[in-house]
Amino acid sequence: MKRLLVFTYATLLLGPVLDAQQSTPARPPMEPQGRPDPWRSSPPAQEAIPIPVPMAPPKPNGPVQKSLVRVTATSLDPDYKAPWNAGTLERGVGAGFVISGNRIMTNAHVVANSRYLTVERDGDPNKYPAKVQFIANDCDLALITVSAPDFFKNMLSLQLGGIPALESTVSAYGYPIGGERMSVTTGIVSRVDFQLYTHSSVDQHLAIQISAQINPGNSGGPVMQDGKVVGVAFQGYSGDVAQGVAYMIPTPVIKRFLQDISNGHYDEYPDLAITYAKLQNPAQRRFLGLKDDDRGVLVSSVVAAGPSDGILYPGDVLLAIDGHPIASDANVELEGERAQFEEVVERKFKGDSVKMDVLRNKRPVTVEIKLYKPWPYSVQGHSYDVRPRYVLYGGLLFQPLNLDMLEAYRTADLRVRHFFEYFVLDQLYLQHPDVIVLANILPDPINTYLAPYRGGIVDEVNGKKIRTLDELANALTESPEQLIIRMIGDGPPLVLNRSQIEAARERIKTRYNVLKEQNLEEQPASKGPEQGNKI
Amino acid sequence: MTRHSLIAFGLILFTVSGALGKKESAVPSALNKQKQLALVRVNVTGQSYDYFRPWQKKAPFSKRALGAVLSKGRVLVTADLVTNQNYVELERAESGEKTAATVEVIDYEANLALLQPVEKSFLDGITPLEIALDTVVGDRLAAWQLEPTGALLATEGLVTTVQMMPYPIDVGEFLTYRISIPMQYRENSYTVPLVKKNKLAGLLLRYDSRSQLLDAIPAPVITHFLKDAESQNYRGFPSAGFSFFPTRDPALREFAGEKGKNAGGVYVTNVEPGTPAMKAGLQVGDMVTEVANNEIDQNGNYVDPLYGKIEFTNLLSAHGYAGDVVPFRVERNGKPMQLNVTLEHRDTKDYVSPPYNLDQPPRYYVLGGLIFQELSRQYLKEWGPNWQREAPQRLVYLDHFQSELFPDRNRRVVILSQVLPANSTIGYDELAYLTVTKVNGKEIKSLDDLAEAVKHPIEGFIKVETEEDPKQIELDAAQVAAEAQDLQDNYGISALHRLN
Repeated sequence: MKRLLVFTYATLLLGPVLDAQQSTPARPPMEPQGRPDPWRSSPPAQEAIPIPVPMAPPKPNGPVQKSLVRVTATSLDPDYKAPWNAGTLERGVGAGFVISGNRIMTNAHVVANSRYLTVERDGDPNKYPAKVQFIANDCDLALITVSAPDFFKNMLSLQLGGIPALESTVSAYGYPIGGERMSVTTGIVSRVDFQLYTHSSVDQHLAIQISAQINPGNSGGPVMQDGKVVGVAFQGYSGDVAQGVAYMIPTPVIKRFLQDISNGHYDEYPDLAITYAKLQNPAQRRFLGLKDDDRGVLVSSVVAAGPSDGILYPGDVLLAIDGHPIASDANVELEGERAQFEEVVERKFKGDSVKMDVLRNKRPVTVEIKLYKPWPYSVQGHSYDVRPRYVLYGGLLFQPLNLDMLEAYRTADLRVRHFFEYFVLDQLYLQHPDVIVLANILPDPINTYLAPYRGGIVDEVNGKKIRTLDELANALTESPEQLIIRMIGDGPPLVLNRSQIEAARERIKTRYNVLKEQNLEEQPASKGPEQGNKI
Repeated sequence: MTRHSLIAFGLILFTVSGALGKKESAVPSALNKQKQLALVRVNVTGQSYDYFRPWQKKAPFSKRALGAVLSKGRVLVTADLVTNQNYVELERAESGEKTAATVEVIDYEANLALLQPVEKSFLDGITPLEIALDTVVGDRLAAWQLEPTGALLATEGLVTTVQMMPYPIDVGEFLTYRISIPMQYRENSYTVPLVKKNKLAGLLLRYDSRSQLLDAIPAPVITHFLKDAESQNYRGFPSAGFSFFPTRDPALREFAGEKGKNAGGVYVTNVEPGTPAMKAGLQVGDMVTEVANNEIDQNGNYVDPLYGKIEFTNLLSAHGYAGDVVPFRVERNGKPMQLNVTLEHRDTKDYVSPPYNLDQPPRYYVLGGLIFQELSRQYLKEWGPNWQREAPQRLVYLDHFQSELFPDRNRRVVILSQVLPANSTIGYDELAYLTVTKVNGKEIKSLDDLAEAVKHPIEGFIKVETEEDPKQIELDAAQVAAEAQDLQDNYGISALHRLN
């Protein structure tokens, strides 16, 4: 499910854990407050305060110790401000656990962008190289595997349980900050609800809030009840936002991931790609011809690039989904539990269909929607394991707008922010599938007067509308001597002379150590097994 | 949502809003026969309109300031000081004698206002200040403040820069003196006069105590204001209505048809419809090379006899008056031509989202708990000094790009600003900051349109359509009418709409 209407941030439990010895440049504090941090492990900011030893330390369940692994990932995070570079080297620690088929489950954010992975197990001094088998960035899960023949020999694989009851006790296992060895914490199930998954920043799925302490390094670790896995610890709030709010990925999401990859490929979550409003106003219900029966939600908008385009229309009232009546507060009853009606779609796969009972112009109709994932949302979420796309021309760095790029530049430009925020809602992607921003200028005598154009969004080159980065690259290559770039808005044209730029190319490449002047390759949707750790 | 008060302005750290009638220093004044300074204290009580509850005013504020006494019994202060005032009082520095005063002329954009005492004899015995127009960079000016005793506190500072800068109401730029000066804090230190050889050279606009830099409204702007104030109808500072861009870039110069490498001129990027520039025939792509017979360089500066290089807009705002015809020399595709631009002041009503609305109540329309307002920068500023980041992003975008998004200018943007929970608005109470497109099928370009459209329900329903989700809202017209009185009583709404 994609974010609907108002975007509210939830908190992630994955802590990016930097190795204390390694001098890695600190990341700028990009995350808006009130958003969960993904928890790999990070060095303790202050000295730990000694806590009295409990009278009866909780005993870890036997199987967990024989299943839990510590995952150390060395990753290269792309540098969107110097996209030709390999990126920033980061190290992080997370947890994982063995499941059936000699596979290790962990969080996507533990292994995303990784270049080298090792796993360690309890009571074994060796570090075993590992590889990513499947990664699902939209639900923050990944499977990794170890090729060493004996690695799984004495390991136990854990079984998946169901959704634990509210108030029931659960135990979280992992390698959080505070020590080297496995840690166990316990707590109760506090809440079951849809949450934003911070790893992608654009996907919402079911998540379970638990009161067990979860800290950086817990990410990817199992949360157990009655000897079975009931969740994967993944995100939480940092202490300055809220205390003791931790989340785990529940088993319906885990099971869906495992089923999705059973064909050897992760297809991602499909989405209806609509926005809707609850129908709780009596006058509005009467206007729409609805009975006083607390049923139905109003379709507000339909994303043109999504599966509902041409099937659902603004003003439609959705009455039932796959036969489940939709209440006016958007809930349905599934297996005795109330859940948002999108949960029905959440459990489906690309290519599946969903049946909707609709009231349209006061007449009932039934429609069927064949599901897939609409692409425009990806611009608003984080990308992993892909090289940033860009074109560098005459020192002018053109980049398509997306969340990673926006955060790298921390742009406050009103127009750029508008194009980002309303990219889907205002269907801006129809005119601008790539919103191409003149993101930066590498100073050179040929562009010394061009600084005021920085931050502009490309509209036309020599009278031709530019819709994608490829079109821009072509227009720059094919252009005559004088190149006239028009930005959106009232600004002056940006005029370049091709011969001057050609003469300056090598100079700029050398001066700024630019390895490659452009990268146009399409971003791979996911990393399949054949791609392993490579991009 | 944070709701800040409107009182604080960027750099004005000298703002004093202490209680009126605060006790003066107990130290007896030894200077009974001091010189009668051309300064009076000005005490102001006022109330701003509350844009989040547009039917009411906010709690009263008080400000104490100084006023410069000019000829003909007039007192010059900043517009800031007396904006949204309920009561203004003048107080003689040496005697403490007080009288009520009226605001005769106010210009929010240039931040100047003229007061007059109700008792005409009140300023008798004071020799009014003359105006010194000849301040240049390197001059020393004295800031005049008053000690609690009524004695003069004078601080000297150096004029470091004379340039065009934005004023608190961000409409165009005006000439500004920047002065390096170590000011001391005193009560009343709002509207501090800057004096050169006993003549008024400027008025404090803002002061940054960390850098000790003071920006002053300079004498040429004051003189322009005073001269305009003497005419029958105050017209305000004029503008031409176009945007321009420097032409330092040789490629842009070549594109604009300009051959000479060192010739001046700025590139016209936008000419707004209905403005003097449009009426005079100025076009996008023209190079403006001369304004009022002054050559313009590639950055848009002319050489001022007093200040040297300064932006040419000074020729329009400080030297020109609404109605003046100013010759522009432009090059179009390399061919020179002359355009005569008849300057006009741009009134706030000529904006889609007006830049300010002061001393006037905001317009609004309450319908069954839905509050409709017209988008204005005054409304957005209710989010405080960082309103551009903190106010709803879409509304800031509409305000900022209004000339691009609404080139015809002939409309307002009506917003559903908030919803008061009531029986008729159940389920709508979280809606806010939506832009209204239609009501009962009729297009909405102002609150007047809305007021008319709601009179014609569709089969008993009032249908409001919005640009953003949820796209449509319906109310029961009969229910809205029946519950109107309850709504008013419940939320203390004095009137359900104000459209004038």
